[in-house]
Amino acid sequence: MLNIKINGQSIQAEAGKTVLQVAKEHDVHVPTLCYHKDLNPTGNCRMCIVEVKGGRFLQAACVTPIWEGMEIETSSEKVMKDRKLTLELMLANHPVDCMTCDVAGECELQDLAYEYKAEVPAWGAKGTRYKADSDPNPFIRVDMNKCILCRRCESACAEIQGRNVWGVAKRGFDETMVTGAGVPMLEARCESCGQCVAYCPTGALSNKMNYGMARAHQVKKVTTTCSYCGVGCQFDLLVKNNKVIGVSSNPNAPVNGMALCVKGRYAYDYIHHPERVKKPHVRRYLLEGNAKPIVNRKSEIQNPKWDWVETEWDVALDIVAKKFGELRKDFGADSIGLLTSAKCTNEENYLMNKLARQVVGTNNIDHCARL
Amino acid sequence: MKNKNNAYHPISPEIEELARAHEYQPEAALEVLKEIQTRHSTLTTEAITDTARALKLPPHQLYGMATFYSMLSLEERKKVLRVCDGPVCWLKRSSKGSDQSSVISNWSSMVDGQWSVERTSCLGLCDRAPAVLVEDEQAGPVEIGDAKKVCKGWRGVPTEYSKVRKGETRVMTALIGKIDPDSIDDALANDVYSGLKSALQKESIAVLSEVESSGLQGRGGAGFPVGRKWRFVASEKRTPRYIICNADESEPLIFKDRVLMDTNPHQLIEGMTIAGYACGASEAWIYIRGEYESQARRLENAITQAKEKNLLGAKILGTEFSFQIHVHRGAGAYICGEETALIESLEGKRGEPRLRPPYPPTSGFRGQPTAVNNVESFCAVPHIMKNGADWWRNLTGASTPGTKMYMVLGHVKNPGLFEAPFGLTLREIIKKFGGGMQTGSKFKFALCGGAAGTIVDKNMLDIPIDFASSQKGISLGAGSFLICDQSVSPVAFLRELLHFFAAESCGKCTPCRVGTWRSLEILDRMAAGKGQKGDTDELKTLAALMQDSSFCGLGQSVPIPMNSVITHFGAEFAKVEN
Amino acid sequence: MSNSMDDVAKHAQTFFIIGSNTTEQHPVFGTMIRRAVKYRGAKLIVADPRKIDITEIATLHLRQRPGTDIALINGLMYIILEKGWEDKTFIDERCENFDEFKATVMEYPPEKVAEITNIPVEQLYETAEIIATSKPTAVIWAMGITQHIVGVRNVMDLANLQMLLGNMGVPGGGVNPLRGQNNVQGACDMGGLPNVFPAYQPVTNPEVIEKYGTAWGLKVEGLKGEGENLQPATFQLSNRIGMTVTEMMPGILEGKTKLLYILGEDPVMSDPDTKHIRHCLEELDFLLLQEIFPSETSVYADVLLPGVTFAEKTGTFTNTERRVQIVRQAIPTQGDARNDWWITAEIAKRVLNIRMKDEGGRMNENAPYASWNYKDASAIMDEINALVPSYGGVTHTRLEAGERLQWPCPTKDHPGTPILHTKQFTRGKGKFMPIDHISPAEKPDDDYPMLMSTGRVIYHWHGGQMTRRAKGIMEVYGEALIEVNPDDAIKIGINGKTHIRVTSRRGMIEAKAWVTDRVPPGMIYANFHFPAASANELTHAALDPTAKIPEYKITAVKVELA
Repeated sequence: MLNIKINGQSIQAEAGKTVLQVAKEHDVHVPTLCYHKDLNPTGNCRMCIVEVKGGRFLQAACVTPIWEGMEIETSSEKVMKDRKLTLELMLANHPVDCMTCDVAGECELQDLAYEYKAEVPAWGAKGTRYKADSDPNPFIRVDMNKCILCRRCESACAEIQGRNVWGVAKRGFDETMVTGAGVPMLEARCESCGQCVAYCPTGALSNKMNYGMARAHQVKKVTTTCSYCGVGCQFDLLVKNNKVIGVSSNPNAPVNGMALCVKGRYAYDYIHHPERVKKPHVRRYLLEGNAKPIVNRKSEIQNPKWDWVETEWDVALDIVAKKFGELRKDFGADSIGLLTSAKCTNEENYLMNKLARQVVGTNNIDHCARL
Repeated sequence: MKNKNNAYHPISPEIEELARAHEYQPEAALEVLKEIQTRHSTLTTEAITDTARALKLPPHQLYGMATFYSMLSLEERKKVLRVCDGPVCWLKRSSKGSDQSSVISNWSSMVDGQWSVERTSCLGLCDRAPAVLVEDEQAGPVEIGDAKKVCKGWRGVPTEYSKVRKGETRVMTALIGKIDPDSIDDALANDVYSGLKSALQKESIAVLSEVESSGLQGRGGAGFPVGRKWRFVASEKRTPRYIICNADESEPLIFKDRVLMDTNPHQLIEGMTIAGYACGASEAWIYIRGEYESQARRLENAITQAKEKNLLGAKILGTEFSFQIHVHRGAGAYICGEETALIESLEGKRGEPRLRPPYPPTSGFRGQPTAVNNVESFCAVPHIMKNGADWWRNLTGASTPGTKMYMVLGHVKNPGLFEAPFGLTLREIIKKFGGGMQTGSKFKFALCGGAAGTIVDKNMLDIPIDFASSQKGISLGAGSFLICDQSVSPVAFLRELLHFFAAESCGKCTPCRVGTWRSLEILDRMAAGKGQKGDTDELKTLAALMQDSSFCGLGQSVPIPMNSVITHFGAEFAKVEN
Repeated sequence: MSNSMDDVAKHAQTFFIIGSNTTEQHPVFGTMIRRAVKYRGAKLIVADPRKIDITEIATLHLRQRPGTDIALINGLMYIILEKGWEDKTFIDERCENFDEFKATVMEYPPEKVAEITNIPVEQLYETAEIIATSKPTAVIWAMGITQHIVGVRNVMDLANLQMLLGNMGVPGGGVNPLRGQNNVQGACDMGGLPNVFPAYQPVTNPEVIEKYGTAWGLKVEGLKGEGENLQPATFQLSNRIGMTVTEMMPGILEGKTKLLYILGEDPVMSDPDTKHIRHCLEELDFLLLQEIFPSETSVYADVLLPGVTFAEKTGTFTNTERRVQIVRQAIPTQGDARNDWWITAEIAKRVLNIRMKDEGGRMNENAPYASWNYKDASAIMDEINALVPSYGGVTHTRLEAGERLQWPCPTKDHPGTPILHTKQFTRGKGKFMPIDHISPAEKPDDDYPMLMSTGRVIYHWHGGQMTRRAKGIMEVYGEALIEVNPDDAIKIGINGKTHIRVTSRRGMIEAKAWVTDRVPPGMIYANFHFPAASANELTHAALDPTAKIPEYKITAVKVELA
């Protein structure tokens, strides 16, 4: 254990930790932008600078390890002034469009600018340097004008997704984030997992599918489990006006943390697809008490007895139950088969098992585990 | 449908071949890109992507490099003529009434269609200003009027240093003009490599102690004790350990390493080999800036000769010590002079500085213990080995042991390079070594150290300069002094420096990336006489931010000239604020 | 999975991935492996005929001839035994039947294996050395191993390998099949199988029959103590093993199957030999389908009941590592769609009523779980807690409180079980099984000279009912693509054309060719996401004799220009 002081308070802390880690553990607020707890710290943005007694320069808390006897000031006048100015250097070239920006309300840059009462300088490009929405990726909206070059997208793509699509190009003031050899994302072998969006602290990378649909404060987040593969990722469904308008990473997800795949994050719009079946459907012959017509794809179109009729639940359920009863009586319990679903819940599968075994009296139950 | 996977492209056979020639080493990325560019005059998206595939690197990394190093280009270029945009060349041209901003177009209009003309940050040819780089050949001094001649092969007349200036103490420069630098026999006949021989007769720990007790300080500018650095490396348990020579001499005003390598390459090789022996390293790299092609070739030739004489390679001179030296060419980036950026670049990446700690002696090249030293530092070592630490300490009367390479430039009668004791004053440098101010010139200010040094006025002419004198406001840096007379506007001059720093900022951290750019924007209008109220204050504010909060030494030292010039010449800045 | 994903990602020194396109089919676990390989320096062996994405970072990529996995695994074990790399202590203390097993393995010397598998002998040695010396090795597989007529044998042989190396019951090791669907694990756990009750309790076991019969209020032979509270019941459980899906379908044509109740599945897209499946469904007396979308299968349904998506329901899913996680309702059910559990319960209640009336039969209504009156999903879970031992302690309350539970979790205070078999195997000792290589059911011949494997792509899900209705997904991957090797593309004469026709003994599809060296010459790869060109028009229902899984991975086909 090392003895250090933060803002005059004596603290014992584990060797090897950074100033930022120790500060967080002791509820000392140090602002960050390029830092994210999941990613290797890079020290790029210089927001987390602190004053260390005896040091010639201010130190970035996220990458500075503590040492014995270290004395740290996290909000001295110099520190506060430099942080504010650094923010203003970012804002000079950042568009002043929080009114219409998709991520307003969940933008780390906006939060800090507010916290530090930063003033938007009169000089600077103000978001006119790059084409907005510059990439054709159908899920990810790219607006490099809003980029503050924190490089979290690069780190997330490399360290979380292991894909290395994002990187840095050019240098100095011209520096910009790129995908692949300066090609569109998909050509750069982007898997559209959206990790870069999840980690972007500004609106430089945002989600295209729900662009303009809701402000952060208008959205209800419901944590749930993904319905695609067997990995079992958890995430938050974003709900506005009883509609799912998006998916966002939930850092506390047990299996996946912030990581998701393209389907989990972006293939949710089927939920409100107009083709959803919304009423029980029964073939006309069943309602009219006729025999089942010969079914094949051709006659389906031609035979009006095979038309779908939308009915109330009781009608449909009674028809179903009657068929179960008749066929069971005529051909025995084992003439009935149930295919339960690997997409449904445990509770639903349990009931299917109970229906087959308790109600019908057959073990003819299976599902698509093999397929 | 956008599924671009649909298109199948095997890696181009040419790139596959190149990659194989480099044994598919990711570190060879820069070399492969340079080779492709040489062959095809450009780097296409396809070529970059294929190279990445062949070397199993992310394409963005190679694209990042292709757009980072100034010698690489995505644009198709013909034969390239690079016109130096450094402050010394600027001074030369502006004193002849030429406007720097029109230099490129002037050159373009003078050369035929086979040539692409572009600006480049300082070429390290300050003693040959105004300078240009013709493909990979250094030329200077050449004026625009010489353009046709230059295209036909004229390269100007290089400065000659065989004549010893009065007051010089020549150690590292002792053999200038006395040997053919391309002949190892000449070198051997003049006692080069005897330092190595004497080192190899000692235990490596004794060699280390000798260097330590000599008090040799690093000559790159920071003055860190060389022996202590080597001790760190030698005491690391992990192997392999590496030696790297920083020959990325890219700071405006500095060209001493070029002269040292050009005039006596074996001295450097000898010094590095001794370093390897002392540190327990067996492999070394000379990271030389890409603009020093002829020096790189000279070094390669010297290495070949040294190997033939068993002064390098396996079991040197019959001992158990083996040592290899490779020459690695940079591709145009000032930041690569920062040792961790240099290491990144050597590993085949963008030359961006690394987080420190860990420092290179603990975790440097390939994450292994690494000693990075300047050319001049290595060149001093053989002499210490040969003559002993005491000799070095007592070589001059100055408190800092040994000699130093100095460069004096600008409005003095006799600009150039000399070797002398530490502790000279600016007045001595100008009068004694520079031959005094040019006729009609009156001293106004000097930029001391290098581009990131202090700008001083006449009140500081008599302060002895060494590594410690920066405390008093005058820096030694890498030992260069640009003397400016009454014709030079400090505002315009600072603009030139910021123009350089903004062009060379790597872009990693916010204060330097935006701070240099914004400072330049302000200085542009101030230099044009169109400054605005509060401009000087804003410069000061930006300087304070860059100094306190930048990621690396580049951003932290930009404020040094900014602050010093505003301190001394605040009135001139105020004058252009309207 | 015997181990957790997080565990193998953190602790495996070597990953041996065979028959799993992990980064595309289990993408987030795939990224965990990528991270382990790239940043932790774990070794990675990928055995797959295709150059799938994860091979890019592999230490070694073995491109075995499809259908030769057993020869490969035996060959590796031969080398391990030859070099003495086996874990003798583990074999002695935890396993049995080693000698018989060894005798079989000894029939697979590397040269012979190289001939069968087309993998060079040096690669076999390299692989064996890596998996045997950089331990623990986690073996990971998916449908590439199981969808063969030798699926079960493949799995057993991989278990042999892990026992031989002592990689069972240790962090970073284990046998780790990746389950495809989000809740395929749960569907199996909950008794969605013809041979077992929930928690794999055999339907043939009288004790189990008694347990469920009693709980569900059914007639149980020899049950004592029928008193005031226990009304005698007449309905009873069947102790005959039921039919699998791959048996029920052909059973229709044999007159065995009359009624199918399908919950959220699309057999026309997902079952082998589509033409045959269509024919079966046409002949079925009554098809009840519960779905969220009209599907290829709904064409044949007599009644279609609207269920809901995961966003509209509450319940639990069990992932591939036996982790039970909560699903929360985020939006109201759409239209007049109802919760799937409600629909099933309503059917159950009505069928019971009819049976009671028709048969004059009855149930013991006082039995604890005879009733179908569930208030919500949590109430169903209460019943599961009582009747499914491994889920005994998995309650909604605990999950809502943020507890992380992997079954077995028998009691309310049990913390769950991240790694199985740490002390002993379920059956006690691990039994080595001698496994021989058997050739695939269908091999390329003169008429059908190429081999087709099937599977999914990263952008789509199974029969595509959901992902084909996701707009962005369709922009990126909007039609079926068939992977064709560049050499074959030249032979076929693709040369700038786009579409190919693929024919098998059972059917024909036309689709766009993706010329790529992902597939080796002589092999194509097709998916079953798009009705217009579903690979299952071509596949056949050659089944593994035990698991009844179809051999999707090997179909003989002919490929021409369309």
